[in-house]
Parts: sequence; C-alpha cells; structure tokens
Amino acid sequence: MENVQKALERVLLQVQRPARYTGGELGSIVKDPSQVQVRFAFCFPDLYEVGMSHLGMKILYALQNAREDCWCERVFAPGPDLEGLMREHHIPLYGLESFDPIADFDIIGFTLQYEMSFTAILNMLDLAGLPVRSSQREALAPIVVAGGPCACNPEPLADFIDLFLLGEGEELNMDLIDLYKACKQEGVSKKEFLRRAAQIPGVYVPSLYEVTYHQDGTIQQVLPRDGAPAVVHKRIVKDLDKVFYPENFVVPFTEAVHDRAMVEVLRGCIRGCRFCQAGFIYRPFREKKPDTVDKNAHALCDHTGYDEVSLTSLSTSDFSGLEPLLEKMLTWTEPDGVSIALPSLRVDNFSKELMDRVAAVRKSSLTFAPEAGTQRMRDVINKNVTEEEVLRTCRTAFEGGYTNVKLYFMIGLPTETDEDVAGIIHLAQKVVEEFYHTPNRPKGRGVNVTVSVACFVPKPFTPFEFEPQDGIESLRRKQKILLETVKSKKISVKYHDSPTSFLEAALARGDRKMCAMIEHAWRQGSKLDGWSDYFSMERWEEAAQACGIDLGFYANRSRSYDEVMPWDHLDYGVSKAFLIRENQKAHSDAATPNCRQHCSGCGANHLLGGACFG
Amino acid sequence: MGDLLYQTAVRAFFRKEGRVKYISHLDLVRCVSRALKRSGLPVWHTLGFNPHIYTTFALPLALGYESRCESMDFRLVEDRPMEEVQERLNEVLPSGIQVYQAKPPKMKPESIAWADYDIVMEVDSLSGEGLLEKFQEWLSQPQLITMKRGKKGEKAIDLKPHLQVWNLQANPSQLRMTMRTAAGTTLNINPTLALDAFALQGGEKADWLSVTRTAILTKELEPFE
Repeated sequence: MENVQKALERVLLQVQRPARYTGGELGSIVKDPSQVQVRFAFCFPDLYEVGMSHLGMKILYALQNAREDCWCERVFAPGPDLEGLMREHHIPLYGLESFDPIADFDIIGFTLQYEMSFTAILNMLDLAGLPVRSSQREALAPIVVAGGPCACNPEPLADFIDLFLLGEGEELNMDLIDLYKACKQEGVSKKEFLRRAAQIPGVYVPSLYEVTYHQDGTIQQVLPRDGAPAVVHKRIVKDLDKVFYPENFVVPFTEAVHDRAMVEVLRGCIRGCRFCQAGFIYRPFREKKPDTVDKNAHALCDHTGYDEVSLTSLSTSDFSGLEPLLEKMLTWTEPDGVSIALPSLRVDNFSKELMDRVAAVRKSSLTFAPEAGTQRMRDVINKNVTEEEVLRTCRTAFEGGYTNVKLYFMIGLPTETDEDVAGIIHLAQKVVEEFYHTPNRPKGRGVNVTVSVACFVPKPFTPFEFEPQDGIESLRRKQKILLETVKSKKISVKYHDSPTSFLEAALARGDRKMCAMIEHAWRQGSKLDGWSDYFSMERWEEAAQACGIDLGFYANRSRSYDEVMPWDHLDYGVSKAFLIRENQKAHSDAATPNCRQHCSGCGANHLLGGACFG
Repeated sequence: MGDLLYQTAVRAFFRKEGRVKYISHLDLVRCVSRALKRSGLPVWHTLGFNPHIYTTFALPLALGYESRCESMDFRLVEDRPMEEVQERLNEVLPSGIQVYQAKPPKMKPESIAWADYDIVMEVDSLSGEGLLEKFQEWLSQPQLITMKRGKKGEKAIDLKPHLQVWNLQANPSQLRMTMRTAAGTTLNINPTLALDAFALQGGEKADWLSVTRTAILTKELEPFE
C-alpha cells in the first residue's frame, strides 16, 4: 500500500482531476484485509466519471461489502495522462479503497456496458500486470469474470475472460463468491474451479465450449465439455420488493456524469421496440411496489446528502405505481429540498401533471425519442407512438414554458427509404410549427428543436439480430439527406459518427475469431474507444486485416433464420422463435401491442414460472 | 427553507489531511454542503429562486496541499451548542476532513495577511544536504523575481518581501522547512510559486512534495478566528 500510494503522490499533481484516483469518498468501504477471505476488484472499463454513474456497480459494491467475508473495491480505467505515468513509474492498477494492486486480488470482475469498452478491459488487465489471455493466467487467483448487458454475446471476449455471469447479479455473484471461497480453502486448481462454476445457473465458462465453423465462416456448432450445460440460462431476481438495495452510495468528490441518488423502479420493458436490446434482454417485466421505491429513495437521500433522486428504469412512465409513488415522495422531498428526476419518459403518456413534477426548478430542455420519422418506419421498429402524440407532447411542453426540445432518431433502420430519412426533418419542422400554433407559448423566445440522429446497430437478442447494418457510404448519404432537408434555423441536426457504429455492429454480433483482432487493436494503441479523441478506425481496420477478419461479414451481412448465432447457446428468456416472428412482422410493417395490452409469448415469463401480469 | 432569516453564524475550523488533499476547492465546497445536509443541522439556505446551503471559505487551499487550519462559514436558523455542531459534522464528513472547533466568526476574511506552511521535498538526483545548499543559495539573493499569473495576465513580482523561511533542515533524502507567505484577497502567494521559481533559477523541481498549511494569520500575526 505504502508503495503504490507514495508512487502515486509523485505523479498525481501532473494529471487532470486527481481526485478520481484517490478514493476516500464518503460511503466508500475500507476493511481489514486480514479479516476477509475474498478480495473482489469491481472494474468499470472506462473513466471514473463514467463508471461512478453506473447503478449496477453501486448495487453490487454494497451487496458484496455487506458480506463480512468479502471486500469489494472499485477500479476504473485511468485517463491517458495517468496511464502514461503509471507505466513509466511501474505503478500497477490498484483498488481505490486499499491502493493494493488488483493482481493480488481473488476475483477481478468487469462490467460490460458497451462494446467500445472491450479494449479498455485488456488495457486494465495489462496495467494490473496480468496476461490478457485467460489461458496464460494459470493460478486460481485472480479469476477474471465479467457480466452486464454485453455478456449476452461474450464471444469476442471469450479468450480473455475466465467466466461470464449472465443476467442479474444480485444472487449470481453471491453464489460465485461462495464457490470461490470453498475452492480457495480446498486449494483446487483454476481448471477445477471453472468446471464447478459452470454448474452454477447463469455462469458461462467459454473455455468449456468448443466452436466449429462452416467454410463460409458461420458457426456450425457449439459443443460443451466437462459437464458444462448445453444452454446457459440467464439469472433473474423474481421479487424486486425483496431484492437487496443499497441504503448508501459512494458519493464522488469530483463530479460524475450522473451524480445523484438513483432508485430502480422496475426491470424489463413492456414495449418491445425491435431495435432495443435492453428491451428484450432485461425481460420479464417486474415492478417494485411504490412503498419499496419510496423507502429506498428516502434512505439514499438521507445517507448521501444528494438533493436529486432519479427514478430509473428503461421506461419510467410505464411504472404502474408512478402516481402514488410521487405522492408519497413529495411528502419528504419538498421539505428536504430534494428534486425528483424522471428519465426515460415516453411521448404517449406524458402529461402536464407529470411535467410539473419533473425538475420544477430549471426549465432547460425536454428530450423525447420518436426514433423514426414516418409512421411506417415507426411501425417497422415497433415504436408505437404516433405523430399526433409527438406533437401533443411538445405542445404540453411549450405550454409549460419549455422552448428547447430534443428529439432522438435513428437512421439505417431495416427497410428504410430516403423518404423515411427526410421524414425525420419533416417531423421536426411540424414540431417547430406546433410551437407557433400554441397560443400560450413562452413569449419573446424562439423555439429550438435539436434532432439527434444515431446510426442503427443491430444487436443480439432483438428481432433485428438477423439484419444487415447499413454500409458506411449509405449512412453518410442519409446524413446528407438530413442536412439538405432542413429548411429552418430553428432545427439543428446532430449525428453520430458512422465508423464507430460500424465497429460496434461488428463487435456486437462477433464470434471468437474476433478475440485476436481485439488483442491486436489494443496492442496497437486502442484503449478508450468510446471517446472520439482516442478512437481510430484505421487502427481497427489494420487489426482486422492482420487477423484475417472481414468486419463487413459481421456488420453488414444478412443472417438467415436458421443460422447458428454465436450467442445461441445462451438463453436470455426471449425465444428465437419469438424473435423470428417479430422480424417477419417488421418486414410487413406490422406493430405488436405492448405486454400489458396483450402477451406476445416472447418466452421470458418462463424465468418467472408464470405470467408477467395478473 | 430559503424564507427564514438566520440566527447564528458559525465558523468551523477543520483539518484536510491524507488522500482528501487531492480534492479541489470546488469539490470540497460541494462535499461540505452535502455533509451539512446529511448532518440534519438547521442550516440556512440562500434566498432566491434556487435556494442552496450557504457556505463560504476564508482562504481556499491549493490542490495537493494538506492543512491543519482550514475554516468555513455557514449559518443556522436555530441556535445550537457549538459542541453539537462540531460533533454532528464529524459524524458525516469523509475521513480526512475533521472539524476541530466551531465558534462564531470573530474576524473578517479580509484581515488575513499571512499563512504558514510546512514543506517537505525530495529531489531524486540530490541528497537532502545538496538540496539545502541550492535552496539557501537561491533564497539569499537580494531579490526573488518571478512571473505570477493574475487576472490580467502574467507579471513580474519580487517574492522577497512576501516570503520568510525558517526551520530549514536536511535529512539524507529530504529538505524540510517552514515557509510563511503573503495570503489573502489582495495578494496571495502560494508556496508552489516560490518552489517553481527555485526550480527555474538554478534549483531543482521536486520529485515528491508535501505541503501542509499550519496557520492562517492576520497582519498582527494573530491566528485567524
């Protein structure tokens, strides 16, 4: 400890915002290492300010530290300035709580939030002084595990991570720590530990599966060995009112992206937007009772001192207990000066009452996501909102004093025509007109409609997992159509870079052959690919070429319904038959009702052992 | 909330030691205001459209410095014994920030004129003795001219009248000293400015440095209270 700490003191004043690297925040947990049996390094493969905004880490940090036998610490990717100094001065990657090198820990766990963070994982293992490939880490400790949404197709990381944790972590992590502790006491080998771990429901040990390929590069079959299950089912927590929820968060000194109390109100989503991976892999839909949420929120605000609490979920306005919850919360939030934030609002159930309760203090900007510009396109992606709903919502916002509206869209969606692309701008134009047709709009101010357009990325476990991604040239052409269609200064268009989306698409549906390419790209300097300052497409193209990988094969190829997907031996609840049905409906411009209106038989209710509703 | 007039002003004196030395002044302000909220003390909020807890700091501390004599002011809308204020704050402050006294403010921040710092420095290429020799040589010049950045850009300043050094000691690897520099709203000289000048004018840049503020003083050299 003295070593790392003193070595750090020699360099910390040369880096940006050193408070990101020194821990000691309120709510951080320090234990006596001699009193614990399992040291867990919870790694977020991105910078501190990003990782500290992540709710999953806060939950698992508190849960693991609630065990007397385990000490969980936080680890983030250092910024390039500190990384350079760490390498120059031989400072190994350390846990923020103890300053101990994580190479000496028992378990190193990464959370996989987005594909662009994959190289950061390799970089962090390397900074820790560990070989990046699991086959070269022979000892039991540290065992390297990973979970989170991208674990639903973990194949591009199969050579680096010892085991993946599928689904929700609350129970699964406890099972893993129990097994590890027993194996450590028994002194078993890493191989034997992995063999036993594969028997825990939700644990996927990639080295226990052999993948064979057809000549065309697609997968022939995936064969389990050593008694590993043929299909690994993700874990869920059935009753959200009984699940562990932290009463305290680590409160960062230096500002994080989301620096506020957060309470989860529900898991899953009833909507079934066909592009949205989260909407499928987090099924089945489960809610907390308003009482539970209120208690969670109150305890958190009291312990952290936060003056803002966010009610988070994929679609918070779908929470059936929202009205009673807000009523309960207002009895203490108002006197305590706490404001309630409701992210993820939908245009089809946004009311004046709701608006009045959100961010009553500052009326800056409201954001909605129609996702597509024409009704036909919205039916294809099953975003069940109409133009009238979008306009009515904007009118409500204007009447409430807002003059800035941000609209999220995608281009490159399956079956998209130039008309659909231009339709995005036409819709924005109608929103501008709606402003001037609103008699009690804010006077003396103009309106600003920001149109933010992302490139569609087909993801595993969605009805669009079979679809090709639009090529870079086509996406650039469509971006041009957007700009050319704008006829008003009140509309500003922002779009994301298409090369990033292309790589994301390749990695999202990648297989094990990609491991070598990821390692190559990292060795050539890719490490914080989510940050445009550090991303280089040329480096990735070179890596793909060096490793004989055709990125277009993964990103731009249409898959047949009977192709074996790299993730087909993993079960996230929704069945492939359902995804195929939904894909077919998309191609006939047909929408699917939401889960509350009608059960479409996605299959996720098997995890509950019964129906989702009633 | 913001519609009450306040009852008592409090000046809380605290230490900032250990790893919290890396949190910037702005982050410290936010941290303290959250701590005040957690403490449950009846703190006064500013009036206006966006009420927030009122705090003010007499002499911000540079990033990377430790201190045994920081102070911050806030207000209470109901009287509370000062011992209780101190206790309740210490229950909710992160480790490394510790209130050692709370009392009504006696002086205005404008009365601050000097601050004392304990400094320990290491230069890898020099022994403590070698460093001491170089430092004394630099310090003995009749004038210590260096560039100081201000609101209107850089300008040259002579540090000599605004700086005193004593307790200069060398051990095998380190140089230790106490430095008193001009402090306050009109002219504030940071020890780093002096050490940077030393590094540029024939000295060496520290490879490892520890600076601890030990006293904040008025023109008459009385402790700021």
